[in-house]
Amino acid sequence: MGFPTAPMVTIAFKNLALSNAAQRGMPHERICFTPHPVWGKTDAEMYAYLEGNDPVSGKPLMKEVTDALTQPLTADESKSGTVTPDVGPATFIDTSDNLQQYYLDNGLTDFMHIQLPTQEKVDAMLKGTSHHPDEVVGKMCPARGSYPEWSFTVRHVAINAVMAGALPEYLPTILAIASSGVTALSSSTNSFAVAAVINGPIRDKLNMNYGIGAMGPFAQPNAAIGRAWTMVSRNLGNSGMPGQTYLGTFGNSVNYNNLIIPENEKDSPWTPFHVQKGFKPEQNVVSLFVGFSISQGQAGVGLGVKPVPQFHEALRYNMIPFGPLFGALGVLDPLVAQGLVELGFKTKEQLADWLQKNSTISAKDARSTLFGGRWVRDPQTPDDARIPYYAKADSYNFVVVGGQTNPYHMVANMSYRVSVPIDQWA
Amino acid sequence: MNRRKMLSLLGMSPALLAASRAEAAKTKTKIAKPTAGAGKIEALNPKGIPPPIQLVPMAPRLNSLDGKTIYLVSDGFPGADHFLAQVGLWFKKNMPDVTTMYRLKAGAFADDDPKLNAEIKAKGNAVIMAIGH
Repeated sequence: MGFPTAPMVTIAFKNLALSNAAQRGMPHERICFTPHPVWGKTDAEMYAYLEGNDPVSGKPLMKEVTDALTQPLTADESKSGTVTPDVGPATFIDTSDNLQQYYLDNGLTDFMHIQLPTQEKVDAMLKGTSHHPDEVVGKMCPARGSYPEWSFTVRHVAINAVMAGALPEYLPTILAIASSGVTALSSSTNSFAVAAVINGPIRDKLNMNYGIGAMGPFAQPNAAIGRAWTMVSRNLGNSGMPGQTYLGTFGNSVNYNNLIIPENEKDSPWTPFHVQKGFKPEQNVVSLFVGFSISQGQAGVGLGVKPVPQFHEALRYNMIPFGPLFGALGVLDPLVAQGLVELGFKTKEQLADWLQKNSTISAKDARSTLFGGRWVRDPQTPDDARIPYYAKADSYNFVVVGGQTNPYHMVANMSYRVSVPIDQWA
Repeated sequence: MNRRKMLSLLGMSPALLAASRAEAAKTKTKIAKPTAGAGKIEALNPKGIPPPIQLVPMAPRLNSLDGKTIYLVSDGFPGADHFLAQVGLWFKKNMPDVTTMYRLKAGAFADDDPKLNAEIKAKGNAVIMAIGH
């Protein structure tokens, strides 16, 4: 920035701060640490932090801060030039059991058994695409703007696809996901989850499950494609190293293989999701979502109303806890979608419009939330003013999936990110 | 573990912090030997390509804070504003010759704020930045 700076970070983020500074070219940045947390502490408690010691150095914190701004630079701190990170040898040789342990111990897996990526298996995987193994697919990092982006080739993606147990015919879908640069393992403290909505004939070609148990562990393509996204994120996107590139306080079991949602196009009364985004029905497309996670909607108001449950009211009710950081994704069994059509919602867009117009929060309540400033930007807004949960209807998205064993729905506080054609990676 | 120990463990190279070596060192796993033989197989490294790291020389430090203006900058995480208010209070009590100015950085947490940077360069001498919770 060109002026002396003393960054102050809480001890909980020590490794993150140190590694991030190093990766940004300042391995000796004079970071000063406070106890954790700061958020939620009283003024007196925070002042006591300042009067105490830096928990890393053990020295008086404010002396650390003033020294950081005034002590002359060392030779290391003044260095310029370029260094090249080392990610280890191209191959590892050992027994199968030892290699399994090695990959696991070195954070190269999701901590479950993998298919070892031998040259033979990777070569077979590469037959799933016409692209050259050395072609650069894209870039990825744990959070854009916060970490340097790593790049990767078709071969790199194929190696990770093998590890995830994928078949060669899944590779174009995995490449499409990887090319988006959307990591499945965000560095956020929130323990985010991701979703991939898959549309087009490829769902049947790969025998994807979009019926009973579609989002569960009941079909190889759903499972392996989702798991590969996590492998790719970890190994190609430098994501998922707790304390350094992953800070989710709880973690999220969805991250094991993510929400893979092949849309049940044949039983849906509505336009498929990819067609909503401008693609042709016969195109194969994967559309990605990022957000908090997903939960059931069976407790929603209106579902006990006969003869047609008030699914729109239930969706509104279920989405009330959602914060403005991400949009709303409704995952609907075909029976729910058909019921909504009976209620007059002939399109997904009509449902989104209704929800946008009828879902509001008072300015007072919005201000009191953690992200209130994102909702109420004008400080003159009166407390009793009603603020839409989402300013635009396109913050609401819907996908139809499931086996029609009952008219159920799920809701996710997740935002649509991007749609990627799969065929371009075939 | 302090930073120097961390960097030392990693060969004093900040670049290594970008790779998996930190975890490898931490777990002390027996590294596979690069010799093929009976019962051994060869598997590929699944890691991608980290970008080269450009070392950034730190800005020259001040001789003294007396009479200087320090900007107290929040990146917008909850609580940072209150915390920096206490930092301002500390200077008022302990180093009254220092002037402090609070600013909320524009944009998302990690975004640069060129307008604020220009203001600090024109009117300030140093920055204390509260990052994270």
